[in-house]
Amino acid sequence: MGMSPTPPSVAANQGVDAIVSGFELLGYVADRSLATALYLVTRLRKPILVEGHAGLGKTEVAKVLASYLGTRLIRLQCYEGLDVSSAVYEWNYQKQLLAIKIGEGSDKSVEEKEKHIFSREFLLERPLLQSILVEDAAPVLLIDEIDRADEAFEAFLLELLSDYQITIPEMGTIHAKHVPYVVLTSNRSRELGDALKRRCLYQWIDYPNLEKEMKIVRTRLPHIEQELARQVVGYVQSVRGLNLSKPPGVAETLDCAEALLALGKERLDGAAIEETLGCISKSVEDGAKIRSAGLDKIVEEAVGRVL
Amino acid sequence: MIGSLEQLSDAARSIVEFCRFAREKGLSAGVQGTLGALEAAAAIGVGRGEDLKFGLRSILCSSKDDWDLFEECFHTFWRGSGPESLANRGARSKKEGSAAFGKRDSISLMSTGSRDDGSFEENGSLAVAGASARERLSKADVSTLSQSDMAMLEQIALRLFKQMSRRLQRKRRIGCSLGQVDLRRTIRRSISRGGEPLTLRYRERKRRPHRLVTLLDISGSMSAYSLFLVKFLYALQKHFRQVDTFLFSTNLVEITSLLRAQRLQDAMWALSQQRAGWSGGTNIGGSLREFNHLHGRKLRSSDTFFVILSDGWDTGEAGVLSAELRAVKRRVRRVIWLNPLLGLKDYQPITCGMSAALPHIDVLAPAHNLESLLALERHL
Repeated sequence: MGMSPTPPSVAANQGVDAIVSGFELLGYVADRSLATALYLVTRLRKPILVEGHAGLGKTEVAKVLASYLGTRLIRLQCYEGLDVSSAVYEWNYQKQLLAIKIGEGSDKSVEEKEKHIFSREFLLERPLLQSILVEDAAPVLLIDEIDRADEAFEAFLLELLSDYQITIPEMGTIHAKHVPYVVLTSNRSRELGDALKRRCLYQWIDYPNLEKEMKIVRTRLPHIEQELARQVVGYVQSVRGLNLSKPPGVAETLDCAEALLALGKERLDGAAIEETLGCISKSVEDGAKIRSAGLDKIVEEAVGRVL
Repeated sequence: MIGSLEQLSDAARSIVEFCRFAREKGLSAGVQGTLGALEAAAAIGVGRGEDLKFGLRSILCSSKDDWDLFEECFHTFWRGSGPESLANRGARSKKEGSAAFGKRDSISLMSTGSRDDGSFEENGSLAVAGASARERLSKADVSTLSQSDMAMLEQIALRLFKQMSRRLQRKRRIGCSLGQVDLRRTIRRSISRGGEPLTLRYRERKRRPHRLVTLLDISGSMSAYSLFLVKFLYALQKHFRQVDTFLFSTNLVEITSLLRAQRLQDAMWALSQQRAGWSGGTNIGGSLREFNHLHGRKLRSSDTFFVILSDGWDTGEAGVLSAELRAVKRRVRRVIWLNPLLGLKDYQPITCGMSAALPHIDVLAPAHNLESLLALERHL
């Protein structure tokens, strides 16, 4: 586990730079911290766990990484009660039943029949198996909102991520031809197991500062006017300070900016905030909190903020 | 830039040292983390300090807490900005803003408590308490008991709490009903019968153990009960798999990890070190808001029971209490309010706080004696 004798700094520097600029071309503003972590993902082939509040582009990381690497994205959305048959594989029972019926008259032995109905032809590949079976190049495997799945599934995942192999009792063990790039995301609705966390690189995505958020808005909505963009971003940034139950993420900023564009607004004012409040606050209480903070005061603050 | 092998091993050594340093400061990474850090450093190179920092951070951290701590560790270790800032942070287990509670009086649990020499543990002498004494004690209001009665009651209580949680587990296991047909196993079985699915296999719904979130009021008006109730919470947490326990008066403080001690006296000692607002004022609404804000994500509607132990005497705004409790209620399966005052004969829940909370409570039950606490089982 020693360090290589030649200095890799230069190559690495370029590697990280390449990710920053490559991501930007794809419309994702990645800071150096994230880019370095992703660079390590490609070099060390470890999974990465991305945590952060909702709407800050966690899922997007995997999508953009896949296009950046020019490879397939395979996505597994986790939910409560997710089990192996919907995450890994399942046999196509209906087809198997039919095959058994059709084969009733034939003189094949039971063993032959069994072998037939438990072949690849009858196998329904779910995301995790797909990611192992990919033939041409390592795919990006996105395991989204892992905190929603239960502990049992997490334990299974741990096994998969250490060996990159899946055992199907009827067929044997399948090894991955190419170890996938694994991105896990979590909203921290529960703490993940230590073993899984230890296996992963970690990246915390925080709310962006004014400068970065401006950059994101300008990248995603190139035709928005500088002034309006600055006001929207300033407005959302001050709303984040209001202690809402669901503070708006970057996704909400973009929604709000787009809504203002669609409404043909050129400046942010109290009326414009009122009309687009649904983009920013997702509950009645939060909406009321924003209103009670004084729309005009918020506007004043937002317009007053300087880059 | 690093040129020679010798220098590289120097870099490697300082990275190893940094990992050890960070571990001492409370970062969770183990030896695996150190090896990973070396790999990362080899991949990134040590030429560019910031990239290396980001790389090490992504390797050595595994949670938001680590993430925040890392910054300080890195600064202290490599910039030499003085270790005082880290020393202030101290053991991370005390990170629950103890400063916020610092000014308030903290009454040592040891001194106000009834006997606390480990008798709460099961030590074989449980049969001492006769049936009649048991009957009397379990019905008596905790606030009226003498010290010796209290000690005896605690012995009985621990045993009964244990039985209660065991029963709750059994109830879960037997309560499962037949679920969907499991096609996979059905087909597997049918092969030996030529593919005729004669016997159906069922898939049982896997029930997760319930989750319990408890908030105990330790303000002045509750002081006659709070000590006993803390022990009750300790017993609950020992036997339930997922319990989160909080104390509140004007602020909220989480004590889940403190109560996780193996022996009750250790837990009580740890609690006495925690400067919570014992016998302070009450702000139920504010504490609930703090809970919603910081810990709301722990709640899951399908399986969380939310238990508040409080007399409802509130000096905060009733409107806040009502709104925050409604927010809790929306996210949990059941809100249970245990109120010791319900044991009084003529008590009516008409105090400002209580009447604001009532619409959002599923179960309002007394909590003044052992019997009433054991009755909690019926609601879980």
